[in-house]
Amino acid sequence: MVTEDSGNEIVVRLDGVRKEYGETTALAGVSLEIRAGEAVAVMGPSGCGKSTLLNMIAGLDRPTGGSVVVHGENVGECGEKRLALYRRHRIGMIFQFFNLIDDLSALDNVALAAQLTGTPARQARRRAVELLDELGVADRRNAYPAVLSGGERQRVAVARALMNRPALLLADEPTGALDSRAGEQVMDLLLDLNQIGQTLILVTHDARLARRCAGRLIELADGRVTGEQALEVSA
Amino acid sequence: MRAVWRAARAAVRRRRLQTLVIALVTLTSSAAMVVALGLLDAASAPFDKVFGAQRGPHVVAEFDPAKAGGERLARAARQPGVEAAGPFRQATVELSDRAMEFGLGAQITVVGRADPGGPVDRLDLWAGRWATRPGEVVLNRQSDWTPDDLGKRLPMRPGGPSLTVVGFAFDLSRTADAWVAPEQIGALRPAATQLLLRFPDASSESRLRAGLDTVTETLPAGSLTASRSYLSLKHQVSSSARAYTPYLMAFGILGVVVAVLIIVNVVSGAVISGFRQIGVLRALGYTPWQVVGVHLAWIAVPAVLGCALGTAAGNALARPFFRSVFMGPDAGVLHDSVSVSGRVNAVTLLGLPAVCLLAALVPTLRVHRMPAARAISAGSAPRAGRALRLQRRLAGSALPRPVSLGMGLPFARPGRSALTLAAVVLGVTTVTFATGLATTMDRFGGAGRDAYQVTVYASRFDDGREIEPRHPDRELHALLAGLPDATEVTARADVEVGLVGSAHPAILEGRRGDRLSLGDVLTAGRWMRGDHEIVAGSAFLRQNGVRVGDRITLEKGGQRRPMRVVGEVMQNNARVVLTGWPALAALAPDERPVAYHVRLREGADPAAYARAARAADTGVSPAPRGPDNLTRTIVGSATALTLMLALVSALGVFNTVVLNTRDRRRDLGTLKSMGMTPGQVTLMTVTSMAVLGVLGSLLGIPLGVAGYELVVPRMADAVDITLPAFMTDVWRAPALAALALAGVAIAVAGALVPARRAGRLTIAEVLRGE
Repeated sequence: MVTEDSGNEIVVRLDGVRKEYGETTALAGVSLEIRAGEAVAVMGPSGCGKSTLLNMIAGLDRPTGGSVVVHGENVGECGEKRLALYRRHRIGMIFQFFNLIDDLSALDNVALAAQLTGTPARQARRRAVELLDELGVADRRNAYPAVLSGGERQRVAVARALMNRPALLLADEPTGALDSRAGEQVMDLLLDLNQIGQTLILVTHDARLARRCAGRLIELADGRVTGEQALEVSA
Repeated sequence: MRAVWRAARAAVRRRRLQTLVIALVTLTSSAAMVVALGLLDAASAPFDKVFGAQRGPHVVAEFDPAKAGGERLARAARQPGVEAAGPFRQATVELSDRAMEFGLGAQITVVGRADPGGPVDRLDLWAGRWATRPGEVVLNRQSDWTPDDLGKRLPMRPGGPSLTVVGFAFDLSRTADAWVAPEQIGALRPAATQLLLRFPDASSESRLRAGLDTVTETLPAGSLTASRSYLSLKHQVSSSARAYTPYLMAFGILGVVVAVLIIVNVVSGAVISGFRQIGVLRALGYTPWQVVGVHLAWIAVPAVLGCALGTAAGNALARPFFRSVFMGPDAGVLHDSVSVSGRVNAVTLLGLPAVCLLAALVPTLRVHRMPAARAISAGSAPRAGRALRLQRRLAGSALPRPVSLGMGLPFARPGRSALTLAAVVLGVTTVTFATGLATTMDRFGGAGRDAYQVTVYASRFDDGREIEPRHPDRELHALLAGLPDATEVTARADVEVGLVGSAHPAILEGRRGDRLSLGDVLTAGRWMRGDHEIVAGSAFLRQNGVRVGDRITLEKGGQRRPMRVVGEVMQNNARVVLTGWPALAALAPDERPVAYHVRLREGADPAAYARAARAADTGVSPAPRGPDNLTRTIVGSATALTLMLALVSALGVFNTVVLNTRDRRRDLGTLKSMGMTPGQVTLMTVTSMAVLGVLGSLLGIPLGVAGYELVVPRMADAVDITLPAFMTDVWRAPALAALALAGVAIAVAGALVPARRAGRLTIAEVLRGE
């Protein structure tokens, strides 16, 4: 587990980030830093801006004010194409509802991420099989999302997120749509990933998940950082 | 009911784009239908109306008075169910050149008749009075002419009786050019007797022939010298309208089918993407039928509005269009009574919305059968993928992934893709059909146009007074040939001659000079060489039952001349036959050319030549050749209708992409979150429709060719012409290759805007919505 004072390079720096949707303020000047190899959990009540914060870092949305710098790149100032390339090469996203493509098999869902970078189909599929194998769902590689269990779908989604070896793995309520057993398995998975050096930002309501996987907790309320604490990992 | 209407109004507001698409589609289709059905109706209805009001004769029969006298003819006509007028004595009268001032030819048919009424052929005496005494004549003239010739003397040839015009009557059946009192006809040396007959069954030529046989069976053989049925007259009058009808009907039908397909697609899409909304309505207490009613009411609003506007636009377009269609010596007799009839408007206004509602009912019935809970929960669970084997093969292909993903998309929603494909197919069918039609019409209009560029008429009118050329015929011919830029000069004279065995005179056109073909297109046989040879138009041959190789006898001034038909030309004037100058001179030795057709060297200015000709002889009126209006009208209207229907097809694609994008918002957001660029999203979406475009071309081109083969020969038949092979041989490889792009062009044009919008979707918004 890599902690704040580990001395690793800062990979994410948010400085006074604001986000407004019309009259509604989702983020009201958030500043924080995340170092390489850290596992950070962002927690807070519904509507506090957790997912918005994650979207800013992932380059899925642009801040209204302030700056989001990831690996030295100011994400808010990137054009659409540059942002797409940034997401493709640097970010791996895991969603609460998995967001797998229904018409593609588990294997092709995972391989798709590499194919978008121009990797030939055969090579992409080979790596996808390896990842699915590592995540314990290789035997389900030819199944389609509709016939997979929730846990299996999320494992496939994690494999897809890892396909391009991203610098940052962002997970938005990764266990929110899973039963407790499947949730446990996903937690273990994320923990394992962080332990091998994967930087992880986790948005969750689940304090147990945060304690289990993250080394640092950032608390958000009304679009502001209201607290920050180092966590003991409960392996 | 109020609840249904309120929900329908909300649907119109919520689905503004789709509502607009339906309104545009129905507007285009109804406008095309009004013009097509209006023309179809006008091709027969006005004739039937005027003919019925005049109780026109089904058969005009001419008899040899030497073989069958008046009494005998009257007895023969007294058959059960047969109504007759006559017998009237009939003479052919030669007029002087000034007859043109009365709108008459040099030779007219005059009938001795006591009054304009009777059981058959009731004439419309619209000016003056009937001829009741010797020395009086009534002329057959349409009522839109001026009656300012009343009281004038008819310009007879020297030695002819003096006849004063006392009235004008209009006879649609053209039984005579003029009528005199029975006491006068004897002085005009009548050579035939006319019997006008109406039969109880006049539905076909064979029935009419059978009826005529009944009348003539007691008469001596050979007493019937000529006969003409009203069906050939009707055919002649409505031929130009019938030329336009097949292709307009084709466009109208294509428009309605496209409208139905797009409405089914729009409503199906609305039903599928609106499941949750439908579930909410049901949960609020709407009955299944009320929910169906909401969808039908939503469709009815743009459909009725589009039809109303389309019908109004169709009527507005039809007015100038009909005016140009109903022109000329035949169709012109009806141009006053031609308009879009009320029943055509009623059929369009009621029929098309009914078709639209029926099209909407089919997908809407799914709503009726669906339980509310299922409707509400639709979309929240992952759906089973479709065409999975194909998706897997595409995923493993070497194609760029956005392209392979796009190629698989149409198969994920096969029903919607099939409807979109059908719209594209019809779009390509229309483009193919119209391209073939326009090519043929272009060749038709361009055929022989290089034969001459200027026509120099051998007279000029100044203040209503005719001025003759200062130079005699041959000198004028040489003068025109010697003017700068002239390369060929061909003189032409027209003379009215009798056609032995026919009630109608023919116009013998004699030609002299460099190019006897004068731009006419030979479709069979050869051009005339000898003094006893003629070439006739297809219409003349068909209407007189004559074939190339047959002999006919022409008559002028009591002199008969047998002629052999040696060729057929593409000509829809059923009265004209062509010959060389010696043959014309043999029948009419004093005849002078009416015009000289001048071919100029390439690049010469026809207007400059016309000025030079006028300066060389002040008695001529040169006219540079004008554009071909028939070709322009057909090509122009076909192009406009094609663009409209291609646009409508593209709107169908547009609608599908909008629906697909809405259905796949989550997938698009996911793909973008994985790093798919906006350009790749656009490429994927456009590819998905380009696949349908390629398939549309493969299916649409054969259908368009079939439509062409069905419609174009009918158009030619309608005007009694035979199109030569070079005009109909339009399907060459380069043209087909270009047409193959039509489907892709329609698909890409329809997909591009919503595809770019899909590329610009904000991922966070899309995924938050989930």
